[in-house]
Amino acid sequence: MTATSVRTHSGAVRVAGVEHVFGSRGAEVPALDRIDLTIEPGELVTLAGPSGCGKTTLLRLVAGFMRPTSGNISVGDREVRGPGAERGVVFQQPTLYPWLDVRGNVALGPKLRGVAKAERTARADTYLDLVGLTDFADRRPYELSGGMQQRTQIARVLANDPDIVLMDEPFGALDALTRERLQGELLSLWRATGKTVLFITHGVDEAVLLGTRVLVMSPRPGRIVLDEPAPFAAASADVDPKDLRASPEFAELTRRVREAIT
Amino acid sequence: MRRRPRLLGLSWLPAVVTAVGVLVLWTVVAASDWIQPAYLAPSPLEVWDAFVRANTYHPVGGGVDRVVRGEENYFLWEHLVVSLRRIAIGLVLAILVGVPLGLLMGTVESVRRVAGPYLDFLRSIPPLAYMGFLVAWFGIYDTSKIWLLFLAAFPPIALATINGVRGVREDQVNAVLSLGASRRQAVTSVVLPATTPDILSGIRVAVGFAWTTVVAAELVNGLPGIGGLAYLSGTQNKIALSVACILVIGLTAIALDFVIRLIERTLAPWRGKA
Repeated sequence: MTATSVRTHSGAVRVAGVEHVFGSRGAEVPALDRIDLTIEPGELVTLAGPSGCGKTTLLRLVAGFMRPTSGNISVGDREVRGPGAERGVVFQQPTLYPWLDVRGNVALGPKLRGVAKAERTARADTYLDLVGLTDFADRRPYELSGGMQQRTQIARVLANDPDIVLMDEPFGALDALTRERLQGELLSLWRATGKTVLFITHGVDEAVLLGTRVLVMSPRPGRIVLDEPAPFAAASADVDPKDLRASPEFAELTRRVREAIT
Repeated sequence: MRRRPRLLGLSWLPAVVTAVGVLVLWTVVAASDWIQPAYLAPSPLEVWDAFVRANTYHPVGGGVDRVVRGEENYFLWEHLVVSLRRIAIGLVLAILVGVPLGLLMGTVESVRRVAGPYLDFLRSIPPLAYMGFLVAWFGIYDTSKIWLLFLAAFPPIALATINGVRGVREDQVNAVLSLGASRRQAVTSVVLPATTPDILSGIRVAVGFAWTTVVAAELVNGLPGIGGLAYLSGTQNKIALSVACILVIGLTAIALDFVIRLIERTLAPWRGKA
């Protein structure tokens, strides 16, 4: 399809002995305390924890927005030294650009790589269709609802074809109905694309429902205190999430995650 | 969200009533004996007459048949155009220097630390303080005036650009870097467009500043030039002409501001919405 799909998969995300401290000497705030974590290609890892525990810090370190105080992070055999196109980021607050229309936002990644206009427009339209925003392609982002903006952001990341998608509480600011709809959409996108996903959330239910693997982080300084596989994300698309939520397995894992958090 | 005032509508009525009131009051004062000598208080009609004479070929008056072209051999609108042209050149130079400098100072911390104090220093100098120095360096003709306008206009533009750059949300830049942008692409495709509204605000401030400055600068060898004409006509006791010039200067400033607001709305329609 495009030059990027020829690229081989970047490989597993490895977080090795990562510690992170904010602030300068005298006023140091430890945010992460020795995190060791490997995320295999194709996994959908959800990371839950109380607010302020450092889960966003971990995501930003993997994204390459900052460097860890100690330890290192790599993707495949390459150390993370900064942001890169193979690691797409979906932010909690949509970071869409108001000077571009919705289509222009989604086509931005390919544009930066020099993909011809016709091709990148077609690509943007494909992903806008995938997230159900075809009718809004010519609008400006600020004319869209919060849920639509978040969908646009997801389409923008996917249109850039990253191997790894880092999502920082992407549905946290949305109302419950929209959130549930987007959770379903995320699962079908993940099934369709096979991306590696790290999904940060403060919702226990969301973590258990979406993850193939659920992590829980302790309050600051963050450590990973629970790491369990979860079967629900891999369930067939035909199964209603309501039925999943009603199952005893779901209740059991939810209980354990909740215990780990508190 | 604040609603923008409508450009057209029924809101013009109070403004028209006020304007008529001012004109009536002015006429009454001018017709009265309150101000002596009477030529110091021309009526609106006399000012209009001076305005028309200044824009046409007219007899020099005083029983002499000779016909002259406008005032000081230029029509009033030509005086205005000359002043506007000086502003335009000074402003273009200020934008060409101020915006890249602002982008550089906004993005590179060390450049900001080194160059910042100089910019603050330049900004704090009233532009007219340069005038004597500039005349000594560049002569009494347009070069010194354009330098002056440049020096007046570029600090507000550079400062607004710096503020704009620093106000760009960090994650807007992070997002484009995660899409694979290089540092340079991040500046051209995110930082610059995100800063556009601030740059335009800076330009608006700079135009106002430059306009004030050019009119004052034309006190020295300012002809042709609307500021020069306003000054000279006053010293020659052509008060009606002087008032006409003052009105033209004020209305031009308002028109300039309106045009820039229009450009702002066209180039940055998202302002205040995102």
